[in-house]
Amino acid sequence: MRVFWTAVALLGALLLQTGLTQVAPGYARVLDPFLIVLVYCALTGGEMYGMLAGAAAGWVQDIHFGGSVLGLAGLTKILIGFGVGAASTRFHLVEAGPRALVLLVATAADAVIYIQLAAVFEVASYEVAPARILLRAVVNAVVGVAAYEAVERRNRLRLGMGRRA
Amino acid sequence: MASVIETRKSRLLLVGLVLAHLVAISKQVERGGTSLLGQGLFAFVAPFQALITGGVRGVSGAWSGYVDLRRVHEQNRALQERVRGLETHLQQREEQAREAERLREILQLRRDLPWATVAAEVIAREGTPWSRTITLDKGSAEDVRLNAAVISATGVVGRVIALGPHASRVQLILDGQAGVGVRIERSRVTGVLVAQPGMPTASSGDLVLKYVPSLGDVVVGDVVVTSGLDRLYPPGLVVGRVRSAARGSGLFREILVTPSAQFNTLEEVMVVRTPPPDDGMTQGVR
Repeated sequence: MRVFWTAVALLGALLLQTGLTQVAPGYARVLDPFLIVLVYCALTGGEMYGMLAGAAAGWVQDIHFGGSVLGLAGLTKILIGFGVGAASTRFHLVEAGPRALVLLVATAADAVIYIQLAAVFEVASYEVAPARILLRAVVNAVVGVAAYEAVERRNRLRLGMGRRA
Repeated sequence: MASVIETRKSRLLLVGLVLAHLVAISKQVERGGTSLLGQGLFAFVAPFQALITGGVRGVSGAWSGYVDLRRVHEQNRALQERVRGLETHLQQREEQAREAERLREILQLRRDLPWATVAAEVIAREGTPWSRTITLDKGSAEDVRLNAAVISATGVVGRVIALGPHASRVQLILDGQAGVGVRIERSRVTGVLVAQPGMPTASSGDLVLKYVPSLGDVVVGDVVVTSGLDRLYPPGLVVGRVRSAARGSGLFREILVTPSAQFNTLEEVMVVRTPPPDDGMTQGVR
């Protein structure tokens, strides 16, 4: 069931990102819904699940929005998923504040890893200004925490109804 | 123990995935351009991408259309309001033009008249069906006197029958109780102009010229002016024109006169302030 909802979430991220590129092309790169999905998967499912979700998210991102070389976003997201998953097993990351911090760090790490990988493989990529990365991290943190709260509230409601039944 | 196995599995998976990616990326970079894998994946997902893009564009287009429609609707409403405002403005301008025309006529009449006059505005009309009166916005404070003649640019209107400090009531010559001493301008035949019997409330009915001898020289179209003999109206003011002049069965002719004043559209009039001198009887004003 978790795999199904992850797939739905990734589809939603794809839809959102595609919609943003159509509606507000200038602002589409400010948000990374795939990262938000994979971080949630890693936070709630651990490093293994985070890694697999990262692979899926990265590949979808590579295919849809990547350049001529596939796998860079996939590899980046695998590493992010593994890192966040590993952190979630060692630290208490269930409150909004710590999760926002995780999203901030994950976004920054995502950008750094992607740029470094592209440099290693001599793949041309746009230079992204640090301010832009910071903005992207803040937006991801805000949107991500709000989305996580919404999902967990829905889960709690469903759980409560299940208990009453 | 299970945790250690799990951790080891995940590390192995990580290494495997990273290596697989490194190989895949290296292959693509070596070949240059788009890889076979990339082409295949792209061919597989491109229709979905097109579908999503089409959907987003459709929704976006519908939204833009809706927004445009709302904007057009708002513009339409604003333009309608503007048109209404302009129509009102135009009506006001037309009314002002008509008022200016009337005032010009009144001013011209005032210059032509040999007597002191005061311009007054009609502020009310008769409130009962049995009399024909109007109320003016000038009264004793403006030196309006009782029985003062009231005239318009086109003819005699009536006389003041009641006074207030800043208002006065005028009995129109159409009123059943009114009577005006007149003469035929051409033949100088005199008579008294009164409302038709039984029709004191007619809004623009003809008046009856009484006491004109059966041999009096009166023809249709003759101009009727005030005679001044009634000591109310200054002489020579146009009252109307003869509409019919029959011989009659008795000593007097049966003559109908159409008043020249436009009673239904009266708005500004002149009130004669000083009584007419006797030597003014020959002066004609029209």
